[in-house]
Amino acid sequence: MDLMKSIAIAASGLRAQSGRMQIISENIANADSTPSQAGGDPYRRQIATFQSEMDNALGARVVKLGAVKTDPSDFQVKNEPGNPAADADGNVKYPNVNPLIEMTDLRDAQRSYSANLNVINATRAMIQRTLDILKS
Amino acid sequence: MTIPSVAAGAYANVARLADPSAGLGKAAGAAGETAGGPSFGAMLKDALNSVSESGQKSDAQTKAMIAGKADMVDVVTAVSETEVAVETMVAVRNKVIEAYQSIMSMPI
Repeated sequence: MDLMKSIAIAASGLRAQSGRMQIISENIANADSTPSQAGGDPYRRQIATFQSEMDNALGARVVKLGAVKTDPSDFQVKNEPGNPAADADGNVKYPNVNPLIEMTDLRDAQRSYSANLNVINATRAMIQRTLDILKS
Repeated sequence: MTIPSVAAGAYANVARLADPSAGLGKAAGAAGETAGGPSFGAMLKDALNSVSESGQKSDAQTKAMIAGKADMVDVVTAVSETEVAVETMVAVRNKVIEAYQSIMSMPI
């Protein structure tokens, strides 16, 4: 039935967005992770990608979380000679995570999740209304 | 995906009940078959079987979630699918009983 299909498709969106949430929370949690050895590279920001995939059992295109890519942009460098992770010049590399961008992404994921939930709710309402004909 | 199977199965069985001379009675199986054709009980049994199948699926998903193996989204979709299937089954059952009662109260 098509209505049950759209619930399953929306559920794939929910799954993809929760995977994205995981990656965003990793970024936010690691925003201050310094390198493990002096002069090394710190945590690199991760980016979630989505891809459309044909679900043969469902007969519809669903969304799947694709490969998690890393952000190639430069690390933030702060001069902290007292930091154990500082290199010979006293510079410490901090992750290339911008909390503002992560917050925007997080809000985006949240809205997208709600949109998919709304699809499920609307579909359920349609099924219920159809069933009401049978009940009355 | 269980709704069409429940509803379509029920409608097909109702059609058989209404027209036992069409020879469909044999196809319905021996689950409570009467002289004229498949009984209402057999029809209900068929519908119940397919509903309980989807119920078992959602039970399995819930158990897997408690064990920390399944996604909450899978549980929610499986349970809502079962809910719809059960409601459809109950609605069809009520409708058929209503029809039966109106036949029984017919003055002869």
